[in-house]
Amino acid sequence: MNYPGWELSFAGGGLLIAMIAIVHVYVSHFAIGGGLFLVLTEMKGHRENSAAILDYVKKHTKFFLLLTMVFGAMTGVGIWFTISLLNPGATSTLIHNFVFAWAIEWVFFLGEIVSLLVYYYTFGRMEKNKHLLVGWIYFIFAWLSLFAINGIICFMLTPGAWLETGNFWDGFFNPSFWPALFYRTFLALMLAGLYGFVTSTRIKDHELRESMVRYCALWLLAPFFFFLASANWYINVLPEHVREVIFVRSPEMVRYIKTFALVSPVIFFGGLVMAIGLPARVKKPLAYLLLLIGLVYMGSFEFIREGGRKPFVIYGHTYSNNVSPLKVEQIRETGILSSAKWVKNKVITDENRLEAGRELFNLTCLPCHSVGGPINDIVPLTAMFKERALEFKIKRLDKSPYMPPFAGTEQEGKALAAYIFQELQGNK
Amino acid sequence: MNPADLVPVADMIPVPWGWFQFFLILTFMLHLLLMNVMVGGGIIALFNHLRNPAQPSPLVRDLSRKFPTTIAIAVNFGVAPLLFLQVLYGHFMYVSSVLMAVYWLSVVGMLIVAYYSAYFYNMRFDALAEDAPKVLGLSVVLLMMIGFVFSNNMTLMLNPQKWTAYFDHAGGTMLNLCDPTLFPRYLHFMTASLAIGGLAIALLNLYRKKKGDPDADRLIKQGMSWFSFATAGQIVLGIIFLTVLPSEVRTLFLGGSVWHTSLLIFGISGAVLLLFFGFKKMVLSTTVLTGLIVLVMVLIRDLVRRAYLAPYFSTSDLQVASVTQYLLLLLFVVVLLLGFGVMFYVLKLGHEAFCQEGEVRP
Ligand code: HEC
Repeated sequence: MNYPGWELSFAGGGLLIAMIAIVHVYVSHFAIGGGLFLVLTEMKGHRENSAAILDYVKKHTKFFLLLTMVFGAMTGVGIWFTISLLNPGATSTLIHNFVFAWAIEWVFFLGEIVSLLVYYYTFGRMEKNKHLLVGWIYFIFAWLSLFAINGIICFMLTPGAWLETGNFWDGFFNPSFWPALFYRTFLALMLAGLYGFVTSTRIKDHELRESMVRYCALWLLAPFFFFLASANWYINVLPEHVREVIFVRSPEMVRYIKTFALVSPVIFFGGLVMAIGLPARVKKPLAYLLLLIGLVYMGSFEFIREGGRKPFVIYGHTYSNNVSPLKVEQIRETGILSSAKWVKNKVITDENRLEAGRELFNLTCLPCHSVGGPINDIVPLTAMFKERALEFKIKRLDKSPYMPPFAGTEQEGKALAAYIFQELQGNK
Repeated sequence: MNPADLVPVADMIPVPWGWFQFFLILTFMLHLLLMNVMVGGGIIALFNHLRNPAQPSPLVRDLSRKFPTTIAIAVNFGVAPLLFLQVLYGHFMYVSSVLMAVYWLSVVGMLIVAYYSAYFYNMRFDALAEDAPKVLGLSVVLLMMIGFVFSNNMTLMLNPQKWTAYFDHAGGTMLNLCDPTLFPRYLHFMTASLAIGGLAIALLNLYRKKKGDPDADRLIKQGMSWFSFATAGQIVLGIIFLTVLPSEVRTLFLGGSVWHTSLLIFGISGAVLLLFFGFKKMVLSTTVLTGLIVLVMVLIRDLVRRAYLAPYFSTSDLQVASVTQYLLLLLFVVVLLLGFGVMFYVLKLGHEAFCQEGEVRP
């Protein structure tokens, strides 16, 4: 209630963050697993004394650099920009509690850039062991930055004892920290194989191509069961109420859970198919197809994870609409409009009722509901409600466990209902 | 509506504000210098490439190789000050960012395109032939636009009295174009890029000269004249900037406060001395003094910000949380030192690998 809201309408409900986060996560995990892939494949080349494999690694490094360092890193900055626009209050909480974790992550990020650039530019020019060392340093920096950021991401879903103690370490090593770290590490390894398909299917020499594609399939398949096991572990450490929101009470979650369950075997068999001998003209498009399926796969998991946090941005601490659960009772007394800093209509009158309703909608609903957009569109969701029914619904919004309580007064609830019914539904 | 009522309540900080102030100034200064090298290097490359698109000079080819790397490092060094700025001034900056959300978010898209164009320019340098300057131009223009968006945000956050416009434009499409300080301020940064970009070229070639590069002398001269002419322009721009500052802020620097005024006098006389060093092509003295003067300018910029915000906020208002994080502060410093040690070692390995081949690191 402290900050102005960006009136997004169509792109509301988290569309922006979903778009940017999913592509970022997909590339940034590759930046970690792919780093290990580079050194281990380079070692393989040396072991087998194969100039062709080394040449492949070199080409793959260029692809890796252009994808992870440019797109991966810049979309990471993008997530940061986006959350501070959509949820400034919660971003501020994260920054003020975890500034040093972020600062440390920045050092790792710089280390990644420096070592990757040196690795790339000195390929074939540096003595073998030193070059491998630089590759290892890259991988370690990359994995450490996952370590640092993982603490903060998990904190948002399971802040654990931090809610009482306010202690950094309680928040950082929170209940889902370790399962998520394993989950993300295995995912990163699998992605190394998945992206490896893209470059290895382009190798000209038939025999080398077959053997490298099979090698990439191994990267995809070997961690697979560990990956599923850690995903399962992850789900099991989540508090009962989070699991309930995900699996029992959220209508919108069903499709993401279904997608995840359906795509798991598809990815696995896709990996197996890549391992058998097929002509390059089949494998090349298949590689891209698998990469796309992988994006859907991981995107659905991220959606489930994000969805489990509803109705909070920081579980138990801040609702998605930036209200603290502790303040709800108090705001109900004074009213949202007079508590919030960034509203024009502090008092509701007959003239400004709809205007005030719009401000109430922007403050309390827009963070999760778009108006006419692809995510959680409020228009169809409220289509069967009459104005009185909406008033009633708004009063007991938190009967739906994925929504926060409406923190406004009786009169504010009515103004909001009127706005939704008359303006958004167009019942003049 | 009283603008002061719009300023959000600040969160508590984990250690006293002075620490964040120190890291903010330190990392911002590094970011600024790197950003200057990036933009300045880009503009100088573009200028030289356009002068002779058919046969770009070796300097152009050289700069094209380094351009993507400077973007990588400059952006990375931008992350840290942005972090520390949010710790101290987040409740101002988040607001201004939301007010100009569309432009603010477009920074990310522009950055990605600028960065890829820089790589494209480098990797396809020969194949692109006469189209190459267009690709470079795209990258440079985008980077300069990003700078402009930043200038807007950094001035909008200082002006709560302009924030009320939100109530008529909640879509995040505001800019701060009517602010008389905006353009002088922005140009001050961009001109600094030409100076620092030129100086970086001179420094690099000073190093090559020691290695016996015959072309180095000419390039040192070229770099230093970019530096000197840009610095001359900088002095004029700086004075214009000073005159358009709001009078409460300006008077502090014109005798109102001893500390503000002496810093400004020190800065301006240093800049004049720099002109002398620059035109005399004294590369090393110029570099050392530039480092000092840039620090002074960064401090002056900080004082300007404080003066603007004085009616609303001072960093000493920030409360320290009951659970402090000194241990983490220490951990950060340790990681920073160790990390830089490792990076230094990696760079040394890279450097040796290139020296054996008798080339200079890209
Ligand atoms: C934390 C995010 C969140 C916030 C904030 C939120 N909603 Fe919802 N809302 C949801 C989700 C998720 C659904 C379920 C969507 C679906 O069924 O596909 C939903 C569904 C609804 C429905 C359909 C009935 C139901 O209970 O499923 C109505 C009506 C509704 N929201 C109104 C509102 C109003 C009015 C506000 C603002 C006061 C609001 N919501 C704020 C997340 C939110």
